[in-house]
Amino acid sequence: MSAPRSAPARGGSAIARLAAAIRPVAALILFAVVIAIVLALVLLTLGASPVEVFADLWRGAFGDWLALTDTLVKSTPLIFTGLAVAVAFQGALWNIGAEGQLLIGALAAGAIGPALGGWPHGAAIVAMLAAGAGGGALWGAIAGGLRARREVNEVISTIMLNFVAAQVLSFAVHGPLMEASGAFPASAPIAAAATFDVYLAPSRLNFGMLLAAGLAVACYLGLFHTAAGFQLRALGRNRRASAFFGIPIARMTIGTLALAGAIAGVGGAVQVSAITHRLYETLSPGWGYEAIAVALVARLNPLAIVPAAVLFGALDNGSQAMQRAAGVSPELVYVIQALVILTLLAFDASATGALRAAILGAPAAGPDDPGAPPAALPPAAPIATRDA
Amino acid sequence: MLEARGITRRFARTLALDGVDFHARAGEIHALVGENGAGKSTLIKIFAGRLKPDAGRVTIAGEPLAAGSANRARAAGVAAVYQSPMLFERMTWEENLALAGFGDGTGARDPRAAAARAAALARDLGFVLPPAGATLERRSVADRVRLEIIRALGADPRVLILDEPTGLLAPAELAAFLAMLRRLRGAGRAVVIVTHKLAEAIAVADRITVLRRGRRVAECRAAATDAAELAHLMLGDLASAQRAAPVADARIEGQAVADPGTTDPRCAAPVLTVEALTLDDGARRLLDSIGFTLTAGEIAGVAGVDGNGQAELIEVLAGMRTPGAGRIVMGRADDDASSGGAARSALRSAGGLAVIAQNRDSDGLILDMTLWENILLARPVRTRFTRRGWLQRSRAAAFCGELLERFQIRTATGPAGLAGALSGGNRQRLAVARAMAGAPRVIVAHDIGRGLDLRAAEAVRQMLREFAAAGGAVMLISGDLDELLELCGRLYVLSGGRLIETAAGDRDPARLGLLMAGAAS
Repeated sequence: MSAPRSAPARGGSAIARLAAAIRPVAALILFAVVIAIVLALVLLTLGASPVEVFADLWRGAFGDWLALTDTLVKSTPLIFTGLAVAVAFQGALWNIGAEGQLLIGALAAGAIGPALGGWPHGAAIVAMLAAGAGGGALWGAIAGGLRARREVNEVISTIMLNFVAAQVLSFAVHGPLMEASGAFPASAPIAAAATFDVYLAPSRLNFGMLLAAGLAVACYLGLFHTAAGFQLRALGRNRRASAFFGIPIARMTIGTLALAGAIAGVGGAVQVSAITHRLYETLSPGWGYEAIAVALVARLNPLAIVPAAVLFGALDNGSQAMQRAAGVSPELVYVIQALVILTLLAFDASATGALRAAILGAPAAGPDDPGAPPAALPPAAPIATRDA
Repeated sequence: MLEARGITRRFARTLALDGVDFHARAGEIHALVGENGAGKSTLIKIFAGRLKPDAGRVTIAGEPLAAGSANRARAAGVAAVYQSPMLFERMTWEENLALAGFGDGTGARDPRAAAARAAALARDLGFVLPPAGATLERRSVADRVRLEIIRALGADPRVLILDEPTGLLAPAELAAFLAMLRRLRGAGRAVVIVTHKLAEAIAVADRITVLRRGRRVAECRAAATDAAELAHLMLGDLASAQRAAPVADARIEGQAVADPGTTDPRCAAPVLTVEALTLDDGARRLLDSIGFTLTAGEIAGVAGVDGNGQAELIEVLAGMRTPGAGRIVMGRADDDASSGGAARSALRSAGGLAVIAQNRDSDGLILDMTLWENILLARPVRTRFTRRGWLQRSRAAAFCGELLERFQIRTATGPAGLAGALSGGNRQRLAVARAMAGAPRVIVAHDIGRGLDLRAAEAVRQMLREFAAAGGAVMLISGDLDELLELCGRLYVLSGGRLIETAAGDRDPARLGLLMAGAAS
């Protein structure tokens, strides 16, 4: 296969690119059909009408303008935390700490928010976001430093830091940051200058969604189009080879976890700035954990994080309407989410491979040594079987 | 014993095996020879049940073998040792053996019983086992291969398949190992060895099957053929007497090979000076005051058995480890005085030194990244295709395409294909091409010919010769004496962490074998 190396590679790349564009769409449709069938079976066994439940779910998530915008609002923190997880996972740094990083980011922003009264609107917003990024980065860097310098497994340290972050936030809203009346475990409201503008009232749609989407694009470019991102992906795929080629592993580890923390921290600041306007203990319903599912569903691709987060946001939002209308318990939504993840993972292994084979003609699971293609075999290869 | 008829296997558009017949008879050693990509590995994977053939069938002692089941193949008495060891890295070697059901034969997975039985087997084979309780993470490839061979023999197989088993064995071990193979054959077994070393195939095998591009081109008795004929069969018309010649005088015949006659290295300018390099791991001294100079245009060789400091020397030169003492200087020793960490960062940033890892699959390449991304792993190349932090992806891919063309790396996909889809020989070519792509002044290569066929090994050697001819310096660390004697001017021996320069009178496989085993110079 020496002659056709360059030319068909060019021609093939256009087809490959088209196939690459079609493949996820086709997989998604197939996936939606399978998940609908599975869910319908589950609902039927529970005695509910699948059609009704799906209709309520849809109406609650996308049924009208308000439902749609609220779905986007609910997806926003999942985009931030999903990116925080995916960026770290690309480097095989198992960041389970997006929850804690988001909380500390929110805490930092919520702490300075009330003091930004005299600031110009733009400067106040930037200060809020910077505080969030700084807090989250600090939280991520602790885990990164422990991993790089003391070989502490980041799975353990990030989980532990989640608990620490929750307790720190709880302490803050019960103590130093508690609002003046002292009646509620919440901080004083942030200054008006530090709140995000809301577009298209009465929706709660805000600048945060745009920021999250922009950050997703930035993460994608960073991972796949910069030297630093390349080093991170190399590190994630083969640590030994990366060390062999002089990739600064310790620096990459600390830097990546700090960056992931900063992204989650900005998500926390956005939440305070746009939605809650003050700090509560119960700020996050567990976005940092849900983010792991979002990142895996998106296969760690930052661009795919956005639709994956919207999917989970829609399930959250729709489930509330479903509960009201169809009288189905909200726990069912967790069942749905679990089924979504399991089905997707199953698809990841088999269906996408088979689909790729069907479209591209490439092997679904390549052997380690497929051998050279015998395209140019001499026509008359003598079979000389000599046996004494 | 093991008979295969009309085996055909296709990978997507690639026909890896095309109606291959194969017959390994009981009481015989059967060598399977062929170039990289000829289909040898695919064929033995089918025998071992790891791959299912598209057509054809395999019988063991007349009984048909269920296709595509490793367990059934094992139960039928087929044991295989592969080129890339398949062991549990984080477990001790005893546990690895015990997991394979190795032990007192009762099926109990007891590491102690496994260790006792392995010790007995190792004595028979003349193998040295790792220290008790050692995990495999830091063991050399040679240690792993030895362990795999012991594991395979533990099942007392009727058919024993060995994929390139001798490449990493020490000369002293080789003789005992080949004797062991002959003894195994005597016990009524069929032994199949896959090899590139034609002289070895002729010396040890009773019968030889030659594969070329997925077809069987010949089956002959070893006594009725010679290396030149086999090379011709393997390569087709491309084989020349010149290519086959160096293979004929292999280490088994124990002949001295003439000095290749490079220019006296002492006259040329030194490009790399290493002085008193020492590396300790706790109380163990891994590298003991290593010193050498490399001059422009020379190819120096370091002979030795893996585990004597080879991996450590490579890791120090690659900058993965900081030496306890000593200096590494590009150029003459008095050019600039730098040592330890400063030295390696200077080496690296200058792109002056390229290191080619021994284990290309785990250290050299990232198999689930594309070819052009693998090229970018080399720092000089990465720097070249980075502008203000941004990767120039299309330029890097185009450059990779040029390298594929220039170094004749066969790929079905071009630069955007995954490195894991390449055959072993093409992976090594990619590693060498990448080292040269950074335009280094010195290349240090570890076991560069491992697992390569005649043509690929010769191509890689030619690449190194051309690099040296253009003023580069090469240090070749290897256990393959034929390769070293053919290629290298100055020869060193690395044994027990000490580097000894050999005298002209030592240029003899038997003499070098003694030095490698630790005899004083």
